[in-house]
Amino acid sequence: MIEIKALSFARGAHQIYRQFNEKLEVGEAVLLTGPNGSGKSTLIGLIGGLLKPDSGIISINEKAVSQLSAGEQASLRSIAPQRRSFTLAFTVAEVLEFLPKKRRIKENDHLIAQLGLTDLLTKKVTELSIGQQERVSLALALSQAADYYLLDEPFSAQDSQSTGRILEIVSELKKEKGVLVISHNQDAIANSFDRVISLA
Amino acid sequence: MKKLIIYLCGFALLLFLFWLSLDIGILQLHRSIFSLIGKHDVDATTVWQVRFPRALGAVIIGAGLGVAGAVAQGIFQNPLAEPTLIGLSSGATLGTIALIASGTSIYGTRTNIAAAVLASALTALLVQWLAPGKGFGFLLTGIAVSAILTSVAGLLISMSPKPGIQSITFWDFGSLTLLNNATVGMIAPYIEVGVIICFMVSRKLDIYSLGENSAHYMGVNPKRLRLYAIIGLAFLIGASVSAVGSIAFIGLLVPHIVRLLIGPAHRKMLSLSALVGAIVLLLADLLARTLFRPNEIPLGLLTSLLGAPALIILLRVRRASWVSHD
Repeated sequence: MIEIKALSFARGAHQIYRQFNEKLEVGEAVLLTGPNGSGKSTLIGLIGGLLKPDSGIISINEKAVSQLSAGEQASLRSIAPQRRSFTLAFTVAEVLEFLPKKRRIKENDHLIAQLGLTDLLTKKVTELSIGQQERVSLALALSQAADYYLLDEPFSAQDSQSTGRILEIVSELKKEKGVLVISHNQDAIANSFDRVISLA
Repeated sequence: MKKLIIYLCGFALLLFLFWLSLDIGILQLHRSIFSLIGKHDVDATTVWQVRFPRALGAVIIGAGLGVAGAVAQGIFQNPLAEPTLIGLSSGATLGTIALIASGTSIYGTRTNIAAAVLASALTALLVQWLAPGKGFGFLLTGIAVSAILTSVAGLLISMSPKPGIQSITFWDFGSLTLLNNATVGMIAPYIEVGVIICFMVSRKLDIYSLGENSAHYMGVNPKRLRLYAIIGLAFLIGASVSAVGSIAFIGLLVPHIVRLLIGPAHRKMLSLSALVGAIVLLLADLLARTLFRPNEIPLGLLTSLLGAPALIILLRVRRASWVSHD
């Protein structure tokens, strides 16, 4: 379980979280939504150990994130950030082999097919469209072996067909894992999730 | 398959250049170099005491510069990051010259090499600490810090009362002239350690190319990675600068050639960068020694003269090997 207890976090004078409590369990898919600036990505940064809470504790499987190394955190949770910088002309296949084998899920062919990347494997990531890059980024996060998957705006550059397929992946994934998806637009997708957290 | 052919051709070319380096020089050999093995006459001395360490040094240092260039571009996420541009070389130069000018040690001693490695690492950390970002700001900071350190080194030379110190300016252009078996033996372990460190971080450099946040999420500690890479670079650059001065353009050019040949994955790139670096430096030194026999052209002049146009051509031919998001 990812557990957030009494979290407070401010950026300058802007108090984003005050005594915030939430949790994410294996077996559920949760949608985190809210307007721009409400702290959705900030929460991912906090859970992901990139930002330090002003007070409160965030733990994964009862281990405080602040006490874990980057490698230990990565074996517990996987994160697809809103953007990655694809600056070098790697092929898609090369990118999907960035992580050492022991950190990857055993079989990702199905995942690659579901994300419509099979035909793009030999293409250079730098030459893909934004939407395709976003799906490569998603495939990278989903092929990292972990208990929890946090996806930051995975639909932002996807058409309705791709969005549908990503939602299918989420509902398959949550059978054995915990999934948190961030989206600023919840209208069409909210009923694919077990719970919706709305930040004001 | 393509990779195998590239490596085979590379090794064949390296062996051929190595043989040429032993065979050709100001002094004309009277017998084939193979008949000189184990002999003790003028020809044998020329080959084993003068040309051999120089050729071997070129291979070792060239390999180190190639790897250093690849790692520097990867860790500073900048296709223009080159050890001489970002302060690593000038730091090492200052470290070397400070010891020589103050009379603490002379050229080619263990103390001198260690000081160069340390000064190189400290300079890289300083540039990183001072730089406002990773793009042009970083490069400009590197160039500025380099300029300061190079000037200080020049001041030390001109103020030192030690006789003969002015001859040290060969450093400005880099030269393999002073290499002997002892020096090569002393710098080789440093370069070996540097190469090993660089190979250890190579997979992480691929992950790091996606950005710092992304790297952290994938289990790579960016701060620690940068520190390891800088230590590796300092071993490579410090050792080679202390022995042969700073040689421009090899570290910049080689990774670009290699990326065109086998793509940007650092795991594959580093070993080929070592091979190509060795070939390029050996070739450059061979040309420097023989083009205008009996006069020798400063090596750094030649690497700049050939390397800079080659880079311009490469950039025009294949702009897509590194996309800028600055």
